Amino acid sequence: MTKLAEDVIFDFLHMEAVKYMYDQCSNEKHSEDDATSKLEHMGYSTGYRLADRLSRESLRFNDELDLLKYVCKVVWSAVYRKEVDNLRTNHQGFYVLHDNAFRFFTSMSRSKQYLEQAPKYLALPCGVVRGALANLGVQCVVTAEVTTLPACKFQVQVQRA
Amino acid sequence: MSRSALKAGEQKKVSCELLSITYGALVAQVMNDYENVDDVNRQLDRLGHDLGVRLIEDFLARANPGRCHDLRDTADKIQQAFKIYLGMNVTIGSWSPAGDEFSIIMDQNPLEEFVELPDSYAGLRYSNLLAGAIRGACEMVQVEVMVAFTADHLRGDNNTELRVKFIKRLEDAIPAGED
Amino acid sequence: MAVSIAVIGKDNAPLYMWVAPGRDELNLQFLSHTALDIIQEKVSPANRAPTDSRELYLGLLYASEEYKIFGYMTNTKIKLVIITDASNTTLRDNEIRMMFRRLHNAYTSAVCNPFYSPGDPLISKKFEASVGALVSGN
Repeated sequence: MTKLAEDVIFDFLHMEAVKYMYDQCSNEKHSEDDATSKLEHMGYSTGYRLADRLSRESLRFNDELDLLKYVCKVVWSAVYRKEVDNLRTNHQGFYVLHDNAFRFFTSMSRSKQYLEQAPKYLALPCGVVRGALANLGVQCVVTAEVTTLPACKFQVQVQRA
Repeated sequence: MSRSALKAGEQKKVSCELLSITYGALVAQVMNDYENVDDVNRQLDRLGHDLGVRLIEDFLARANPGRCHDLRDTADKIQQAFKIYLGMNVTIGSWSPAGDEFSIIMDQNPLEEFVELPDSYAGLRYSNLLAGAIRGACEMVQVEVMVAFTADHLRGDNNTELRVKFIKRLEDAIPAGED
Repeated sequence: MAVSIAVIGKDNAPLYMWVAPGRDELNLQFLSHTALDIIQEKVSPANRAPTDSRELYLGLLYASEEYKIFGYMTNTKIKLVIITDASNTTLRDNEIRMMFRRLHNAYTSAVCNPFYSPGDPLISKKFEASVGALVSGN
């Protein structure tokens, strides 16, 4: 299936952002962690602002789970063109979001080389989730890992005040 | 007022806003990395260049534009690309007498939809990514151009204008992207 | 027509305030701030009636002899307060609701400006223009 043109631009912009951040750490006194945290920050800012914009049309949320479901549906659709495939929780503030065909991975080949590159493409998405949730009132830590390309999972650990 | 997925028309709008917001976050990050505004402009241009290099492949496959015989052809194709990728209607005009320079005039620019430039950033070419992208894409089809913003709505001008100047046709023998 | 419009942040710090020319600014500021407690009460899960529509528009918060005070809270906990003259009977509930929605829209646009840091006072020509259009009934 051919991607829509406006999606291509976003994918390429993200790729260039990743390249820009990692290039910087190769020629200056920055570490790869700096690149990751800058991308995460960029995602946070995006997710935060996007949450204001998207949630205009939503009713007030019932509770935390309701909010997470919203992120899995609406925020995910806005950014990744599909909903999260599976959301699990231990009902104590820990959530796992499974995406079986993550947007940034669907055009990647499945060779080992790409599997090593894949985590670079998860820093901004982690930030998007954290930023959106933070603005909607849930402070959390978000991590992500690749299972088998193009699948990945995000883990959200809510920080209680 | 539902929580369900968005309808097609809304999705297009959302995609456009997502692009605009994400680009904004990138510009903010670059501004954090470089104090000098000229360096920021240069970095945005460079990011755009690399994006253009990638994008041209997609454009050739998608639009099947055929060969460019002269700069007017190239201008038409750039106009087409703006429509395809950003949904923008741009006007081509202000040709130089020699036919080696033209302007791309934009009434609106989705990248700048939400942007209000603080006075202290007057030197910033916010959308310099676009200038770089044109330069990078042209380079891949063996056309060397210089692209620069000559007017910007964000800085109080009536419209936003990119000036494209033809430099030379690159020899096929030189691999594209290496100078 | 509105006599004041206020945007109040997550932590209850005022982000923006518009007051009609010639009105008592301090008093209207005070009234907008007082409205926060009522908004808080209205949206508190503990007080929620089973019939609660969970709409962002919270309706008339209270009316004094002089003013009517209306409230709205976004999903990101930004509070919007519109005050009208109590004597103004031409504005219907639905029109107030529409005013809030436009105000909310303008707010989210301002938040998407990459040079705006969320939580800072809203200093924006675009937002100012939106509020201007809103209060002049355009």
